[in-house]
Amino acid sequence: MITGLVLLVGGAAAGVFGSLLGLGGGVLIVPLLTLGFGLPLRESVSVSLVSVIVTSSAGASVYLKKHVANLRLGMVLELFSASGALVGGLVAFLLSEQVLAGLFAALLLWVAVSMLRRSGRSEAPAPAAAAAADDRDPPGEPTFTDTLAGPGYRVRRLPLGMAGSALAGLVSALLGVGGGIIKVPAMHLAMGVPLRVATATSNMMIGITATSSAVIYLLRGQIDPFVAGPTAIGVFAGATLGSRIAHRVDTRILRLLFVAVLLYTAFEMAQRALGL
Amino acid sequence: MSAAQGGLSQVAATAARLETIAARLLTWGTRVALLLILVGVIDMAVTGVVPMAAATFPPYSLVAIPGQLAALRPEGFIWAGLTLLVALPLGRVTVSGAGFLAAGDRRLALVSVLVLLVICASVVAALGLEG
Repeated sequence: MITGLVLLVGGAAAGVFGSLLGLGGGVLIVPLLTLGFGLPLRESVSVSLVSVIVTSSAGASVYLKKHVANLRLGMVLELFSASGALVGGLVAFLLSEQVLAGLFAALLLWVAVSMLRRSGRSEAPAPAAAAAADDRDPPGEPTFTDTLAGPGYRVRRLPLGMAGSALAGLVSALLGVGGGIIKVPAMHLAMGVPLRVATATSNMMIGITATSSAVIYLLRGQIDPFVAGPTAIGVFAGATLGSRIAHRVDTRILRLLFVAVLLYTAFEMAQRALGL
Repeated sequence: MSAAQGGLSQVAATAARLETIAARLLTWGTRVALLLILVGVIDMAVTGVVPMAAATFPPYSLVAIPGQLAALRPEGFIWAGLTLLVALPLGRVTVSGAGFLAAGDRRLALVSVLVLLVICASVVAALGLEG
């Protein structure tokens, strides 16, 4: 009973923080289950993937209703993220727990550094989008890439976005995260998609990415329903709460606190990887 | 308006329609899935199931879920919710693919089919690994 409640509260905390800081819950859930409850890393990854699908489906429904997410672009990119996740889901069973812990420590470090760099920086227009405004093609038959554009922006460097999506899928399946930390910069910085649209489209894509590997974990009997159930409910409740209080919270201090937590968790994971 | 611009605005209108349909599917699907999981979690508390207390947990079996539900077992509700949850993004891709096809956008309809094939490959790979 107590364990179930702790899982629920832990999932809720991950959901609130993830929602306030624009991260999926996976970055927090895997360390919570592995370091906090002693669950094997692979099982933690599988539970995290379920939570990632919950937040993606709930978030994507809102983004799609408001027409913020780009369904066409997302569909093309998720073919590559799903393929990456398929490979990752299979490779995950070949890697030792120590290697996975090492990879997770590296991911946490990367997220912490990204958050520090983002801290205090205001949202700038996508560099490629700004260039696109002065780079109009003469009118003619629209290309396939043209049909992926949205209101006020065009899509550029599609192959780069495809490669980024495949990498995001691989990382997602190996480490149980959504992969938005790779997809959003790939779409925003490389492809010229506005940040808001990139975030919404990434959120929608994450559902398919996580499903590709979650299916493998599910059918291989790696998902514990009694852990996944309370955690998923907690994450959903936390993410819902987070989205409602986001405008009232000063995320600058929260971000710095979160970076400290990430660095500490990375250290713990690195120790586990080294067998210390 | 040129023919090219007309083509692009038709594409945008189709995309907007599909986004609304996909949003409805995800909204209601997520609600039902989470409700099932919530019932399972409450059932866990009522029947005294403690997570991670045992060395093993009930294995996933799609065909066993109706029986588990009929017996009001917590894992039945949770598995049913998780199955629906995993199926939701697939449903969104299927609906979108059908919409693209109906709108005459064969390229994106093909992309949708390829996405579904990748998921099928995941299922086959998982079953193959298990075997």
